[in-house]
Order: sequence, then structure tokens, then C-alpha cells
Amino acid sequence: MQPKPAEHRMQILLIEDDRETASYLVNGLRQEGYAVQHCADGRDGLFTATESFFDLLIVDRMLPHLDGLSIINLLRQKDIHTPVLILSALGTVDERVAGLQAGGDDYLIKPFAFAELLARVQALLRRNPAETRSISVVRVGDLELNLLSRRATRAGREIALTNREFKLLEFLMRRVGQVVTRTMLLESVWDLHFDPQTNLIDVHISRLRQAVDRDFDWPLLHTVRGAGYMIREPSAG
Amino acid sequence: MKPGASALRSSAARLTLWYLLILILGVGTLLGAVYWATERTLLVEVDRVVEAEHQALSENFDDGGVERLIMVLKRRSDDWGRLGAVYLLADAVGVRLAGNLSAWPQNVRHRDEWLEFELDAHEGGVPTPHAVRARVFALGEYQLLIGNDMSERQRLMARLRSAALWGSGLTTLLVALVGWWYSRRVAWRVRAVAEACETIISGDLSRRLPRNGSGDEFDQLTMTVNHMLDRVEHQTTVLRTTFGSAAHDLRTPLQRIRARLDSLLPGDDAAGSAALAATPLHEAVSDLDRIQRTLSTLLQIANAESGVAQQLQPLDLVQLAQELIELYAPVARTRHITLEAAGGAAVEITGNRQLLAQLLVNLLENALKYSPDGGRVVLRATRQGGHAVLEVSDQGRGIPAALRDAALLPFRRLESEPQVPGSGLGLSLVAAVVRLHGGRLQLHDNAPGLIVRCEFPAAAS
Repeated sequence: MQPKPAEHRMQILLIEDDRETASYLVNGLRQEGYAVQHCADGRDGLFTATESFFDLLIVDRMLPHLDGLSIINLLRQKDIHTPVLILSALGTVDERVAGLQAGGDDYLIKPFAFAELLARVQALLRRNPAETRSISVVRVGDLELNLLSRRATRAGREIALTNREFKLLEFLMRRVGQVVTRTMLLESVWDLHFDPQTNLIDVHISRLRQAVDRDFDWPLLHTVRGAGYMIREPSAG
Repeated sequence: MKPGASALRSSAARLTLWYLLILILGVGTLLGAVYWATERTLLVEVDRVVEAEHQALSENFDDGGVERLIMVLKRRSDDWGRLGAVYLLADAVGVRLAGNLSAWPQNVRHRDEWLEFELDAHEGGVPTPHAVRARVFALGEYQLLIGNDMSERQRLMARLRSAALWGSGLTTLLVALVGWWYSRRVAWRVRAVAEACETIISGDLSRRLPRNGSGDEFDQLTMTVNHMLDRVEHQTTVLRTTFGSAAHDLRTPLQRIRARLDSLLPGDDAAGSAALAATPLHEAVSDLDRIQRTLSTLLQIANAESGVAQQLQPLDLVQLAQELIELYAPVARTRHITLEAAGGAAVEITGNRQLLAQLLVNLLENALKYSPDGGRVVLRATRQGGHAVLEVSDQGRGIPAALRDAALLPFRRLESEPQVPGSGLGLSLVAAVVRLHGGRLQLHDNAPGLIVRCEFPAAAS
């Protein structure tokens, strides 16, 4: 999907008791160039997570011996702040909130598409200062977003955007080169946690694309089939 | 239960009032009878004394004539005048011959053969009226009046009267106080039970009715209700856990199927993506998505129906409605449907934002689904009295009045519309979320179309 970073292989620990799901995830993530270690129960998982360094933990909520939320709690108590992606078959809103409150960084409900997991793994791993830092200008190619004046320009020409379109564009631009899924957009830009049954997000993206890409030479906003969307520097395409 | 007007409507208060009335009647009758009997007894005693005097004096008269009688009377009035006996002997024309009365009494009341009059006696130099009851007997040509001072007895009767009045008054007061206290206590206990029940109805199944441990009938009722609540809570817990593990056990195999299908799907670089979208493989994946959505919705309904609303926060329905309108407006525009908000000022309620957003999403998606192209969907959030009212109206085919209740049940869909996609769970989830927030859901006719009206208790402002 993305050129793999050769210099440093990201270390991921997967704690998941279902063997088939685990092997599918391990294989998938390894194909994407990550170094993956797997534990099948909660106690092993906690031990491994404490003993070695990982860039990311993927933790199932329901585990033998020690459940996922307890693992996160214990790790955070030990001052280990590795990002955690929670996988869960418990999918109600309240449980999601409980998971995030326990110290999880993201929450994915089973069953999920591998593309969705991958996008979230990448987002958590590349969570860089640019995403949250209070900067005043975000740039991708000739597209420029001034966060103070709330103005968007491309090649020096002003683009008219609604508030929400601005937020949407900002979210995508801060994750330049990363796949962003529809659910991620709905969660982050609208703060809503549900599965849209219609092509809700696609319509918003196509309106944004009209504004950002239509009158210009090359497109910045791309659709990643089966996964979501990405804003990309023209040279990287 | 409110105090005041409804206080008289409480059964305990009514019972107390009846009890009070019967008690006053009973005590009144009892004291009245005692008073009457005492008075009779005293009168009869006086009459006997007078009769006995008459007997003795008649014998004296018979033995020694009028001279002897005069002598005896003189002696008696000297010795026994203080005992309250009154005598007067007069000749045929009424001239006084002897006795402790100086003259024939004035202002006499006749009662049968008895005379009643008042006499001024000097007690410590002060003239005091004394009531006297007397009888006149004929001895030969003479008349003899024999009487008895009644004032002592009248004082006794007066004391008895006041004792009776005070007694019954105080009894009444005491009973009224006890009754008031008792009915207050009953009302308080009923109110405590009602309040606990309200909390339980609103979803807090762990709450129990307060017991006082006295073992009275209230306490026993409380115990029984608590026992019932234990059962209900247990069953709910079992149901939730079962649902939770069922969801887990279903989702894990679904995840495996998804994984297997994913590995069969060609990579995203593959050409001819439009053609691929129609393959059985893709159809299987979208079926899987549909199953997952149905499962999630069912879980959410079960959770909302059995639980307490969590993560509550004050929120403005108008603002939430506007956010969702803004989210759905582009989709609506592709079908030329006007999606508009009505209502102005903020409508605050306390609720779970995600669940209420889900409610609005379901209503909006339904409204858009059933609206004809070019139709109008209106989302209105207003405050009406103590309620926050959320209304979504469309111009679709609506739901016939007879089917509206059934439409809120899970998996109910109109048989006339099998071609419209959907799980039949949308409105059930809406109903569950409304109930979870202590609200009410109604379906109305928009002529044409449907109005879904959700009433929530408004946040105190």
C-alpha cells in the first residue's frame, strides 16, 4: 500500500486469543513490513509488553486470564505509554468510551476489514507532532491551509470552504500520505461513532474534491480502493 | 403524592378521619350516659332522704302533735342545718310555725310533686344562692316542707360536665394528632416506595425499596417487591451477559470469515474495479457488513433497553440536529430533497450524545429513504412546556395508523415495501434510545408522510 520504511521496522505486539484472527493479522501486518509478535493470553501479553519495547500494541478486549482493559491499566500504571489499539467484539458506544477512557488510543469493532485496521495502525504509528501541534499553516504541494485565518489557498488562489470542509481538509492534510478511512473521518471530523449506511462520507469528499482539485493540474485528494482516502504530495504519486 | 388537596384523598387520612368521628361519637355517648346516670342517682338519693325525713317527722307528729313537731324541727335545724336539710312548717293559711326557712319560698318551679327554688345562705357574711329541692307534705291541717340543699350535687355535676368536655376534647385532639402523624407516616412510606420505583423504572435496577425492619405489612410488601426486583435484575444481567457473549461468539467467526474473504480479494491495484464490485466475493463481503450492522444494532437496542443511560452530558438538541443536517445535506441534495432545520433557541436536555446522534441518524436515513425525489425533510427541535421535543417529518408514504405501534417493534417492516433496503431495526433502536432517556416516542401523520416525534424531559434551566 505504502513504500515500507526500510530503515526502521516498526515493532507491533498483538495480544489476541483467537488463533485464526491472530495469524491473519500477523501475516497481514508482516506483509506490510511490520515486525509482529503475538501473545494468546492476557498475562503473557502484559509480561511481553513490559519486558520489551514496542511501537504499538493491538489488544483484544476479551482475553483469557487478564482482559484487555486491565492490561492497558497496568501498563499505564507502570508509565508505559505505548499507543494501544483495542480490538473488541463489544461494540456499543458505552464500551468504546470505556475502552478509550481506560487509556486505549483507538477502538476497532470486530469484524473489521484489514484495510481499516491497517489505516488505524498507520495513523497510530505515524502519529507525529504535525497532527496535534499548534501550527498555523499546513502545506501539501501547492495547497496551503492557514489555521489562524481559516483560509485555504491552492497555487495562490483562494478556495471557498465551509467550516466542516475546512476541518475535513485539515484532518487529511495533517496525515499526508496516510490512508484515512471513512469511519476515521466520521469519528474525528464529526465526532460520531456509527456505521453510515449511505455513501455519506463519499459525498462530502467529492464536494471537497470539487473545491480542491477540479480547477487544478494534478489531483491531491485520492481514493484508496477498499480503504478510504489519502492526500498525497504530487511527486509521491 | 403531593401534600395539600391530595392529603385528604390518601386512604390513611380518610381512615383516620372516620376513626376520629367514630371515637368522638363513642366517647360522647359513654360520657353522656355516665353523666345522665349520675344525675339520676343523685336525685333518687335526695328523694329518699326527703322521704325518710317525712317518715320520721310524721311519726313525731302522730305521737306528740304539732308542739312535739315544732320542738323536733327546732332541734334539727340547730344540729343539722349545716348538712343541707331545709324545713318549714306552716299552718293552713301559710303562716310559718317552725323550721329553718324564714318564709315560704318565692320563685318556685314545680316538677311533678317536687318544688325547686333558690335560697340565699350566708356563708362567711356573703349571700350565696343555694339550689334546693323540696316537697310539701300535709300533716293534719298543717303543711310541712322538707327539702335538701342541691348545690353540692350541682357542683359535682358541673365538675363531671367539665371533666367530660375536657376529656372528650383532649381525646379528640390526641386521636387527631396520632392520626395525622400516622397518615403522614404512611404517606411518607408510600412516597419513598414510589420514588424508589421511579428510579428503578428509569433503569437503575440495582436500587431497592427502603425497609424499616419492623416486619409490618408495609415491610413485608417491601420485602416481596425487593425480592421481585432481585429476580428481575438477575434475569436482566443474565440476558445482558448472554447477549454480550453471543455477540462475542458471533463476531469472532465473522471476523474469520472476513479475513478469509479479504485474503481472496484482489489487491487494490487491480484493474477493472467496477466489474469486481459485482462479484460474488464482494457481495459476500457486503452481506457480512450487513450482518455486522444488524448485530451491532441489536446489541445497542438490548443495551439501551436494559441499561441505565451512561455518559450523560448536557447538550443542545438544536445544535446536534444542525450538525446532522449538515452531515446529511449533501446526500439529500443528490436527490433534490430539501433538508431543513426548524426551531430557534437552544433546547437543552441531559443525554448521551452518541446515542442521540444515532437516533437522529436513523430517523434521517429513514426519512431520506422514504422521501420522494424533490421532497422535503424537516427536523424540528423545540421546547414545549417541560419537554424537549424532537420531530422529523418526511413526505414519503408514511405508516398507516393501524400499523404505527407495530412499526416500533424489532424486525417489523411494511409488507408493501419489501424493495426498500433496511434491517427493520432502525425505529426499534430509536424507541430504545428514547426510552433510555425517559422520553416518549410517537408516530403521526404528515399527510402525506410520517412525523416521528420524540419527547424528552427537558433539562432544568
